[in-house]
Amino acid sequence: MSRVLGDGWALPALDDHTRPFFTAGVLTLQQCRACAHVQHPPDDVCEACQAFDLGWFESAGRGRIESVAVVHHAVHPALKDQVPYAIVLVSVTDAPGVLVAGNVFGAAPDAIQIGDAVRVVFEHVTDPTSVETLRIPQWEIVRE
Amino acid sequence: VHGAAAIAGIGETRYYERGQSPHTEFQLACIAIRRAVEDAGIALADVDGFVSYLDQRNTPTRLARTLGLRELRWTGVPWAGGGNSMAAAIQTADAAVSAGYARHVVVFRALAQGQFGRFGQAGGGSGGASLRGAFAWNGTYGMLSPAQQCALHTARFMHDHGISQEALCEIALACYANAQRNPRALRYGKPLTRDAYHASRWIVTPFHLYDCCPENDGGAAALVTSTERARDLRHRPVPIVAAATGIGPAYGSFTQATLGSAHYRQVARHLWEAADMGPADVDVAQFYENFTGSVLIAISEMGFAAPEGVEAFVSGGRLVGPDAAFPFNTSGGNLGEAYIHGFGMINESVRQVRGDSTCQVRDVRRALVVAGPGYSPGSAVVFGALE
Repeated sequence: MSRVLGDGWALPALDDHTRPFFTAGVLTLQQCRACAHVQHPPDDVCEACQAFDLGWFESAGRGRIESVAVVHHAVHPALKDQVPYAIVLVSVTDAPGVLVAGNVFGAAPDAIQIGDAVRVVFEHVTDPTSVETLRIPQWEIVRE
Repeated sequence: VHGAAAIAGIGETRYYERGQSPHTEFQLACIAIRRAVEDAGIALADVDGFVSYLDQRNTPTRLARTLGLRELRWTGVPWAGGGNSMAAAIQTADAAVSAGYARHVVVFRALAQGQFGRFGQAGGGSGGASLRGAFAWNGTYGMLSPAQQCALHTARFMHDHGISQEALCEIALACYANAQRNPRALRYGKPLTRDAYHASRWIVTPFHLYDCCPENDGGAAALVTSTERARDLRHRPVPIVAAATGIGPAYGSFTQATLGSAHYRQVARHLWEAADMGPADVDVAQFYENFTGSVLIAISEMGFAAPEGVEAFVSGGRLVGPDAAFPFNTSGGNLGEAYIHGFGMINESVRQVRGDSTCQVRDVRRALVVAGPGYSPGSAVVFGALE
């Protein structure tokens, strides 16, 4: 699956916090092993109980569009040919309170509405520098 | 503490379009500081503290050496964010002076974007894993600028409360209209019409070009000292009645609890309590417009109107001119006067209390400044007329 913002667009650097989310191929969010709290983005300490023992939660990957903005002015030269594109914030059904940023596959930017049901899909891309395969979470609208 | 410290002097450089300043950023800072100190009527050597905000590059020791301070006793920069800390900087100086840690503290902001590049400019290169740390979560999806982040909050606020594009337009129109009275303003002589607003290009929905503050070069400064000392200086003191910084119990920009917020509910609660007043007691208000939509949220969160009523509150010319129902951004604000990361609004509030604004509201007893919305913690300050 080619990328929503073009195959040349920048990739996230992978580290202990970003690797599970951007490589697992399942919507993977940080979860506290002590109290089961799910938080995003990941951090070094659980924001609910301050435990340090943090693991990962595999979400079913269903959600809802909570906000959408259509970018017309590219602020980076590599995105000049990609505008207009939509940025969305998605609430994750099985991770209350969390919002995940993303783009939407297969929808005209102006057609995306707050309240739309979505499911996760993944962009598969190989990082040319590390040769690591990324599976970047994105969204597609689920028409009931 | 309240009213124990006051603004005794204000100063600013000429304002310039981005990259047009003939001076370096450090020179701009020195000009603004010198003018604020001269306005107060004290000796430059008697300044003993500096406070700024937002990654200020002009360090206090460099300033103290260059300006010939006898001693430097207080420095401070509120943590986090950007223009949201503008009123918190005044609060920091107020705390220092009121506690006796310093006598004459200059609060300032200077920027020369031609010299140092643009504030809020997107990092990250194309190709390869270049989006590091916190940038990975949003930058991967092409969310790179403050405008885009504030657009997501504004879009949700508009959706939830039935706000139309016209409400955003009203903020821009008011700032441009008030700038037509202010010869310092970069938009002086360049009025904006409703048609021109709607015809302007989209930056990111729901923001047109005119919903976004410009980028400018310049400097502005204010001298904070005790109200008692200020009584003997050149101008009638303008006491800091109260200031507040706040966020909580929900933190983080993009969470379900904070989406559609500008982070000003806590600021409002603490500010009104500390100032022993409410929104109805405000005679003139300056709201930091990074983006017009964020101002609508801040007006609502500060308690001036319910979210559903904020469009009516700003419409029909209710914000325009000295006799406005709600005198607002009387110098033209960030959109109309200049974007010195909001600091012009501090000086404009002082002018309103002194009675020498170019858009002077009658008998100003309480002047409010609300710093940058959409970033946390927010901050705000009330200046008052000397009792």
